[in-house]
Amino acid sequence: MKNNLIAVHDICVYHHVEIDFIQSLEDFGLIKTTTQKQSIFLTFDELSKLERYVRLAKDLNINLEGLHAISHLLNQVENMQAEIRGLQAELKHYKQFN
Amino acid sequence: MDYIDYYKILDLKKSATIDDVKKAYRKLARKYHPDLNPNNEEANKKFQQINEANEVLSDPEKRKKYDKYGKDWQHADQLDAQQRQRSQYQSQGGGYGGGGGYSGGFGGDDFSDFFSSMFGGGGGRSSRNSPFKGQDYNADLQLNLKDAYTTHKQTLTVNGRQVRITIPAGVENGQKIKLPGYGAPGANNGQPGDLYIKFNISEDPKFKRKGNDIYIQEEIDVYTAILGGEKIVETLNGKVKLKIPAGTQPEATLRLKGKGFPVYKKDDQFGNLYIKWQVKLPTELSAEQKELFEKLSKS
Repeated sequence: MKNNLIAVHDICVYHHVEIDFIQSLEDFGLIKTTTQKQSIFLTFDELSKLERYVRLAKDLNINLEGLHAISHLLNQVENMQAEIRGLQAELKHYKQFN
Repeated sequence: MDYIDYYKILDLKKSATIDDVKKAYRKLARKYHPDLNPNNEEANKKFQQINEANEVLSDPEKRKKYDKYGKDWQHADQLDAQQRQRSQYQSQGGGYGGGGGYSGGFGGDDFSDFFSSMFGGGGGRSSRNSPFKGQDYNADLQLNLKDAYTTHKQTLTVNGRQVRITIPAGVENGQKIKLPGYGAPGANNGQPGDLYIKFNISEDPKFKRKGNDIYIQEEIDVYTAILGGEKIVETLNGKVKLKIPAGTQPEATLRLKGKGFPVYKKDDQFGNLYIKWQVKLPTELSAEQKELFEKLSKS
């Protein structure tokens, strides 16, 4: 289990972000950290989420409220894309019999 | 490399200030950022162009070179050195200009570097001796469906040159492949252009292709449809004997897994073959047959 965890300290150094930024993301419910033996870690899945927020914050100067709104909208977009893919596959299935 | 108009990409005028560049970049980056456009290749590509444009136009040094040399801005230092060498040579009384008579005769500074690089240079400007990649060639290759079914070699003649290519099985209609270095020769020791071959696959009267799946229609008589039987069906890689279950309905479809079209560049992977049964009704019945059908209808 521990092998799948990455220390938040290492992430902060690598991405040049403050630990406060990661804590704020967690306060907004955007990522979830894990604490073990008084150290804070992220799973791989959470790391990819964090990296997305870091890019958005740095590239586009988006604040935490903005990241929160974007996260919500992106979830909706991804769900809709999955639904469209499903419907397209279904449509293709019916079209081949015409 | 194609000429990319960074001003156009950021929707800016040439007189734009650094602040204008930054504002335009942020505005477009918010629109095309890959994290905001999941699974959108187009947005991803656009974002790369915006980034490239911003990198050049927001840096005064790079922007100056870009404004002067266009697409060759990254070689600006080399081009400047060449220009210095040439003017030194001309001022010493040498050179093809014979004292400078011709060098300004094609509109001089009004003739842009972009166009002089395209047309070989008429004004004796900076890019005259720099290497340029040769022109790319485009060719169309006509194949039928059966050609596209197997990996095979073909020899083409492009601009008098024989080119032997291997066409992988499963190639799509309209697909293009690139043969680097088979285009026109480059200028000033530049590398040759590339050859792009587009495959036009003609439709087959029997086998209809949709992606890697193949669709065909086969006729069976009414007796086989009702009582069941067997039929030999031709597929793209030979004949198969199929069992037709009793009570097969008109237009019922049978799927033969892995009997469709080969998947491009994936060995031993094939799509499916779909066979739609067309039940053929008898048109001329003998008196005896008619009587039997009447008996059947009343039974």
